Amino acid sequence: MSFDIFICGVGGQGLVLLTNALGRACLKSGLKAVTGEMYGLSQRSGTVSVHMRIGEDAHSPLIPIGGADALVALEAIEALRYIEYLKKGGLALINSRIMHPPVETAGLVKDRTKKYFTLEEAVSRVKRWTSRVAVINALATAKESGNPNAENTVFLGCLSALRELPLDPEKVKEAIAEVVPRGTVDQNLKAFEIGMRMASEALCGFGVCRNLR
Amino acid sequence: MVLSDVVSPNKGKAFMLCNEAIARGAIEADVKVVAFYPGAPTSEILDTFSEALGSFDYQMQIATNEKVALEICAGASFAGFRSLTAMKSVGMNVASDTLFVLGYTGVRGGMVIVMADDPHAHSSQSEQDGRFFAPNSYIPMLEPATAQEAKDMVKEAFSISERHRVPVIVRTVTRVNHQSGVVELEEIRRSGFSRARWRDLKEEYLTLGEVARRKKLRMLERRASLEGEFEKSAFNHVLGGDAGAGTGIVTSSVAYLHVLEALKNLGISGKVPVLKLGTTYPVPRRLVAGFLKGLGGAVVVEELSPYLENEVAIIAKDENPGLRIFGKRSGHFSEAWELNPDLVAKGLASALGVPYEDKSGIVEEARALKEGMPERYPTFCPGCPHRGTFAALSQALRALSASGKGYYFANDIGCYSMWVFPPISNADSSLCMGASVGIANGLSNVVEERVVAVVGDSTFYHAALPAILNAIHNRNRFTLLVLDNSVTAMTGQQPNLSTEFTAGWREGKRVPIEDICRAAGAEFVEVIDAYQVKENVPVIRRALEHDGLAIVVSRRECALYGDRRKRRRGEKITPFYVDKSACRRPYACIRDVYCPAHEIDGDGQPRISPELCDGCSVCSRVCAFGSIRRAETEGERR
Repeated sequence: MSFDIFICGVGGQGLVLLTNALGRACLKSGLKAVTGEMYGLSQRSGTVSVHMRIGEDAHSPLIPIGGADALVALEAIEALRYIEYLKKGGLALINSRIMHPPVETAGLVKDRTKKYFTLEEAVSRVKRWTSRVAVINALATAKESGNPNAENTVFLGCLSALRELPLDPEKVKEAIAEVVPRGTVDQNLKAFEIGMRMASEALCGFGVCRNLR
Repeated sequence: MVLSDVVSPNKGKAFMLCNEAIARGAIEADVKVVAFYPGAPTSEILDTFSEALGSFDYQMQIATNEKVALEICAGASFAGFRSLTAMKSVGMNVASDTLFVLGYTGVRGGMVIVMADDPHAHSSQSEQDGRFFAPNSYIPMLEPATAQEAKDMVKEAFSISERHRVPVIVRTVTRVNHQSGVVELEEIRRSGFSRARWRDLKEEYLTLGEVARRKKLRMLERRASLEGEFEKSAFNHVLGGDAGAGTGIVTSSVAYLHVLEALKNLGISGKVPVLKLGTTYPVPRRLVAGFLKGLGGAVVVEELSPYLENEVAIIAKDENPGLRIFGKRSGHFSEAWELNPDLVAKGLASALGVPYEDKSGIVEEARALKEGMPERYPTFCPGCPHRGTFAALSQALRALSASGKGYYFANDIGCYSMWVFPPISNADSSLCMGASVGIANGLSNVVEERVVAVVGDSTFYHAALPAILNAIHNRNRFTLLVLDNSVTAMTGQQPNLSTEFTAGWREGKRVPIEDICRAAGAEFVEVIDAYQVKENVPVIRRALEHDGLAIVVSRRECALYGDRRKRRRGEKITPFYVDKSACRRPYACIRDVYCPAHEIDGDGQPRISPELCDGCSVCSRVCAFGSIRRAETEGERR
């Protein structure tokens, strides 16, 4: 068995760091982990995706279609872009942040009757794939923690709320402290804690979360 | 990257990107000289060596191009030092002139060339299969599947290189380079560095005519002895299944991992024999023949071209003529684009005659959910100087078109390539490093329109310079924009000849582009600041009208590089905002700039996201109403 997480977002949101922290936590827990990371052509603002696979049975760096136990989307449109990787009925952790690509904004300027693709639309479509959806305002949480760049650690917290994640949250926290820039450890750990709490509240009806003290 | 994992002298384990594991392996193998030109998906190898440079005594150069990097390594190796370079396989096209000769001359110190293919052209201009360089140059090749194996192979490649006195290619693909995993670290025990004496080592590294003919025979002998060695290599192994069972699988690289995944998902793990090849040139023919013996069929699973499939077919012709071969040529796998566990499961199921649950229903259902969802094309970062340059260039080109003259636009390889994507989609051609200038040399003499070529700073030095000198000498008439953002931006902002730094961020001598052009005799050379959109339009217009070669160097450092420097200096980034009372909604800030930080608010007015804005000012410069302003209060800053 393997626990497979499909992580996606927009270039600049710190997916590589998120992946690294999870990988290090696996190492600390004596678990095998393999990833397939796709950064895209642009350094920022492009689509970024990571296949994160935990467990002895994970061979390929890529998760098969419909194979991911959890989908983590640091941007809501991106959740939909990769939805086929999530198991039907799998767990979707989605940032409430929408970053409208320049091509979409350009379309609105060209045709004033056009409207942006909304968060509500993205989430309602994801809910046709799975009912187990948590929408997390990670940017606000990150800001509340003192570091607007900590959206990624908010989601590490969200993931750690899941009982199925084969990692002790303490190990994830240790890993975070090792990979984030010096001087931001406390902010990131705070973002982690809030993220963990928010996910367990958002998903409490599904019985998928750990009991938090 | 966590540097302490790479530089730790101790045994242990680390979670690492394959590219970091490659660097760690070479450091464990006491590599003494490394040289690179960056290229996805290998750039993190360079970055890792650059970061770790302070901890070890290896020499490192970030070279002008892949050919120079390869030659730096060859030079060191002639003098007995272990050397390593890494490049994408299209970089090998540039370096291959030297590679082919190294097959003849051989080397002394272990020399390893990491060469990465990019199936699916994720970040390349083609899906080139670089494996064919190996048989073509008689240079041995290893192919890892995982980060651990890449590290092991790099270390072993140094030994093979020294035993056989030949460079060794370690060939990867994107899904290997950009794969992280748990890697075993071995102790780092480095010997000190001291210069060698050539007179003690002296031997001939030359080849020509008679010498080449003699060395060709030696090369063939070497191939035979390498093949003999590879027959026993631990990098090749057979897994599972009954010997002599119906159908077996031959595979290599990341395709091997997809095969294991697919067999698991088909519920036949361990039931089908798998030959995993790690030494793919020369192919160990006796080993393959032994595997094929008695089989009714063989499925060959590999990325890109049917390279192994051809080898299997040739071997089977003598050893097992009745063998059915399933692969690319039989249509079980496509020769286009990259493999994944589902494509491999489908092909295997069909070849092996086992049931396969088709995923096309799920994919179709997902596609329906995505209806109307916006695309997210690769684009310039907020603050990118190219946005300012292209805003001015667009205006100048519009004026040229309006005058009925028209233009041909030759794009090139770098971040500015992304001008070909919507919403801008402007380019008539974009081929490979520096080709825009070569193409302009040809086109400008045969079409009526003005030819405009664009290159970046790194591309200028890498491959454009010979074509520029050609234009000066032959008095060719076209316009060349050199977008000088100080670093090789697209691969992760590595320093280059336009940077005052070099490997390890040590001081380097800047080689100013305009000085080279003027010294070579170019008559029209102007330097502009990429952010000064209004001021730049007339300069570019003059360049478009100039009766000769007109070179405009648009300078401003890469925003990401600049931001890092600002942070280091303790400077803050001050975002801009739209003063809604002044905005008359002409949307020039959006139409001319296309910045990810810009959005349309609910009230129809533009809005700048303070989290994304880099404070570059370009949008404020295209606004005719002065309604875009720099945030002034501390609270508005970040």
